[in-house]
Amino acid sequence: MSHTLHRRGTEANLQQDYIVFSMTAKGFNEVNSRYALQEFLRILDKYEHVNMGDMKTGGKFLVNKDQIINNVADTSIVHAVFSDRKQLRDALKELKEADLGVSVIVSGIVEHVEQACQEAGIDPHTVEYSVGIRGKLARIPEDELLEITTMCGHGMVSQHLVRQMLLDLKRGKRTAQEAGEYLATPCVCGVFNPQRAQRLLEELAEVWCFDEV
Amino acid sequence: MQIDANKCVGCGQCRPFCTMGVINFTRSGKGTKVHCYVDEDECVDCGICYRAQVCPVDALHQPLYGWPRSIRGTFSNPLAEHKETRVPGRGTEEMKTNDITNRFKRGFAGMAAEMGRPGTGARMREAEKVFMALAKLGVEFEPNNPLTGLLKDKTTGEMNPEVLNEKVLSAIIEMIIPLDKVIPVLETMERVAEEINTVFSIDLVARTDEDFSVPTARIMNENDKWFSINGKINLGLGHMNVKGAGVK
Repeated sequence: MSHTLHRRGTEANLQQDYIVFSMTAKGFNEVNSRYALQEFLRILDKYEHVNMGDMKTGGKFLVNKDQIINNVADTSIVHAVFSDRKQLRDALKELKEADLGVSVIVSGIVEHVEQACQEAGIDPHTVEYSVGIRGKLARIPEDELLEITTMCGHGMVSQHLVRQMLLDLKRGKRTAQEAGEYLATPCVCGVFNPQRAQRLLEELAEVWCFDEV
Repeated sequence: MQIDANKCVGCGQCRPFCTMGVINFTRSGKGTKVHCYVDEDECVDCGICYRAQVCPVDALHQPLYGWPRSIRGTFSNPLAEHKETRVPGRGTEEMKTNDITNRFKRGFAGMAAEMGRPGTGARMREAEKVFMALAKLGVEFEPNNPLTGLLKDKTTGEMNPEVLNEKVLSAIIEMIIPLDKVIPVLETMERVAEEINTVFSIDLVARTDEDFSVPTARIMNENDKWFSINGKINLGLGHMNVKGAGVK
């Protein structure tokens, strides 16, 4: 149902992770909406963000920002990721003033998003919660890895790639920043937060033991 | 996905990208690594190993599979667009455009079981178990969801038998129910979860009340049910007069 809903984490690390995205409704307000969706991205680009993308073109760690904006189509879903709540709030204020008419959705800690909305003069319309994981839980990787892999809701960031990055980090082959940004490349929507991944990798590298090569 | 054994040099660069962890090494009689191969039965055709462009000899190859194998790619590769919904990915527009479509009205909730998420993948036979358990409650499955289109009988939750062995990265069982059904649906999901060989993630959607409180949060709290601090909010900024839409 949602590619940004099930990000795992603690309050401390989720508060560095907010996704603002937009789309229009098929059969309602979709026709010629690409101009407004492009303006949406241009507005968000004014504020400090850590990723941006359109799944039809890719994220900013795959293609350049101008390509992302120029290729926006009426059926696009366009995204930007923020790690700072003040930047989020200011971006939402400008989006409200711009009155683009496209649907705007924010994923993150609900209480924080509601507060940012209140400060921006926006009344939330619909809220979706993640109610957790059920089933054969032995089949999912460690929570620490899930905090990174679930930042790509389409599941394109494999736990094995995260393990490889941790190994590279421990061996000094990559910095944590390089590893975080490399992990953003499989995520075509541009919703992966490389800065949060970097911080999580730094913490994990201290304690992670490898029983695999 | 397949790997051309005549081209592959066995460097293993593609292996960590595999979302299912099913790219393995073949070994010689002496046990040394020779080349990589994909366990095609376990592969979900998400295509990320190919798109990562790490193969130095272009040995990765995505065959054009026919029915029913073809559903693996459409559910697993986020670049594939479902013909029915024209939405890339696995679900529908759901709450993302609720400010326009009013799909989730006051008094109702949207619920979903995202089969195979996170990162485990699911055979359709596992999805069928969840479908059948929920069908007994009389819920109506979202008609525009591509997974619903694979049902043979929407009242029993039986799926087309041709697809039961197909494996996808994730697929979403989606429904709209009255608010008083939230807990029975959730508890049914929890019961059937004990019978499946995969995992699913649960979504819960509701339109805010007039005072902007969230009725589903209230229901979950009253029944001591856990939900994440994390969620997704539609800000209600959408309308029919999209800026610039009159531009030719």
